[in-house]
Amino acid sequence: MKFHRLVLAGRFCLLALTSLLMTSSPAIGDAKPLKLSTTADHSKYKELQREFSSAPEVTKACLACHTEAAGQIHRTKHWRWEYLNPVSGQKLGKKTILNNFCISVASNYSACTSCHIGYGWKDASFDFTSEENVDCLVCHDTTGIYKKPPGLAGNPVLKDTELPPGSGKIVKGIDIAKVAQKVGKSSRDTCGSCHFFGGGGDGVKHGDLDSSLAAPVRELDVHMDATGLDFTCASCHKTSSHDVAGSRYTPTAMDKEGVHIRGKEDKSNPATCVSCHDNAPHKKEARLNQHASKLACQTCHIPEFARGGVATKMQWDWSTAGERDAEGKQIVRKDEKGRIIYESRKGSFVLGENVKPEYLWFNGDVRYTLESDKIENADGIVRINSLGGRPDDGKSLIWPVKVFRGAQPYDPVNKILLKPHTAGNDDTGYWKNLVWDKAIATGMRDAGLPFSGQVGFVKTEMFWPITHMVAPKEKALGCGECHRDNGRLAGVTGVYLPGRDASKLVDTLGWGLVLLAAVGSLGHGLMRLLSRRKPQGGDMKNG
Amino acid sequence: MKSASSLSAAVLLALLGSSLSANAYDADWKRGRIYYRSVCTSCHVAMPIGTVNPSAKTMAEWASYLQADKHAKGKDTVKQYLSKSYRASIKSANKAAEKFADVPDQELFDDLKAFVTKGAKDGDTPATCS
Repeated sequence: MKFHRLVLAGRFCLLALTSLLMTSSPAIGDAKPLKLSTTADHSKYKELQREFSSAPEVTKACLACHTEAAGQIHRTKHWRWEYLNPVSGQKLGKKTILNNFCISVASNYSACTSCHIGYGWKDASFDFTSEENVDCLVCHDTTGIYKKPPGLAGNPVLKDTELPPGSGKIVKGIDIAKVAQKVGKSSRDTCGSCHFFGGGGDGVKHGDLDSSLAAPVRELDVHMDATGLDFTCASCHKTSSHDVAGSRYTPTAMDKEGVHIRGKEDKSNPATCVSCHDNAPHKKEARLNQHASKLACQTCHIPEFARGGVATKMQWDWSTAGERDAEGKQIVRKDEKGRIIYESRKGSFVLGENVKPEYLWFNGDVRYTLESDKIENADGIVRINSLGGRPDDGKSLIWPVKVFRGAQPYDPVNKILLKPHTAGNDDTGYWKNLVWDKAIATGMRDAGLPFSGQVGFVKTEMFWPITHMVAPKEKALGCGECHRDNGRLAGVTGVYLPGRDASKLVDTLGWGLVLLAAVGSLGHGLMRLLSRRKPQGGDMKNG
Repeated sequence: MKSASSLSAAVLLALLGSSLSANAYDADWKRGRIYYRSVCTSCHVAMPIGTVNPSAKTMAEWASYLQADKHAKGKDTVKQYLSKSYRASIKSANKAAEKFADVPDQELFDDLKAFVTKGAKDGDTPATCS
């Protein structure tokens, strides 16, 4: 009996072993679930199986294997926030330039650098040679829980923290070890954690980038369609040594290089339509290819921006900021959809959804109004950036753009744009105190710029070429959108557009010919009618 | 004899446990997001109940709801709408169902659970339907 039971137990174990072996070595059709997007499961690395007391500790662990990664990052715009335009010689980059949204990074580092690819940039003394302050997780998080709240100089919150201090709002600490163990390729979510929220909120800045692109439908973006092609940002913005291709400081307006071919060295921008589609992409309607010599692909294929249900800011007037209610508190006003259109600390906004772009000739040359540039005509409109381009320079195409208009502080004595200290829980931060003089004095001091003590407001424009939210081909613009009076290209000069443009001479000659043909035909008919020989009755009868 | 039976049971449990942990599925909240928005929401939009944001429930409420597996107040199940057979029935008109047609039912269920948990009212990133 004992023997039988032992045999039974043995069989039981054998069955279990067989079961295990079958599960561990399954046929391909029933293969165990695993990550197919990477060859390394980072949760299995001992270096990451521990608690981390700070984010830089995670970076150190990453660099133990990825020894060159930080050095690569150090060379990029994402790290330096500096860029020397090789054509114009202008020193650009977030660190330096102004815009007409939140205006300037200088003296607002702790807020702005929540979107820096590093940790701890809280003032001008930040060490740009530090390897451990490179933030690997912000681009490689796959959990979606990694966040860098404004005001913490790019640091994530590892323990539950009241933010802003004294607000009573608790930001939950993240499990950074979990994030580290699940790193993977960058995604629309990781890139979007900053680029969707530029300008201080979802969709504010670009117009063609907002959170609706995290998992878009085909109608919103035919390439990023989550159930279709499912492009990530890096599908177009091909990265080399951590340097991401495609820059708004030196965009490629006209790509004459053609498609990129695997195995062939190609130094041209991979983030253009042409790099995949070539310069004659229309196979059925070859006539449309002729348009490609004058129009950017985006002109027809992005009929509107901000199409994903997220409004973009179209205007920002800082001159109206500073109102308080009867109790002296700051005011927030919203529109009928619950969207903010006025804040005491920022001024008034105009929002837009499904916005038709404006169009202009663009050759890729972008010039900025820099912090030291003089504003000679304060009654006019100052262009924060100007897009170069002419119809006859051989380098320009007609591009769709978002034109962001606003009014922002400038110094009427020194004739320069001003950089206010806005963010910050201190005595001079404008968002807390609503006092321009103090905020600007601090901001200009921190930026190392002169300030006369006088504050005026000047109207500004900033141009944003539109290149995302590519619609399916059946939703591209039809002929009639442009080939008519007051069509989309009504304001674009330098090109003859049938249906829009007219020449009096040609029109007169054409209509004259039509008239002559009509007169001739009618005259001929009349003559035939009058000269018709009447039949004689005898002839009819006698046959 | 008792010890032999106990030993075999222990070995079995250990082996099964080891097997399960080796095959533990790492839920993909992004796939859950696509399915939730493209299948669940697209149908709910047309139904009287309307859309249900993940942030409409807490993590505990979602866990309880999915555990109970009662859809439409118990008229049918949640799992039925995540099943391969359901996906096959709508895939001609629904791209998400077509894209994920071959995903095992339990994986898709876990993906969806991961998304609504993450997007719950008290989740890491409260989420909407769109």
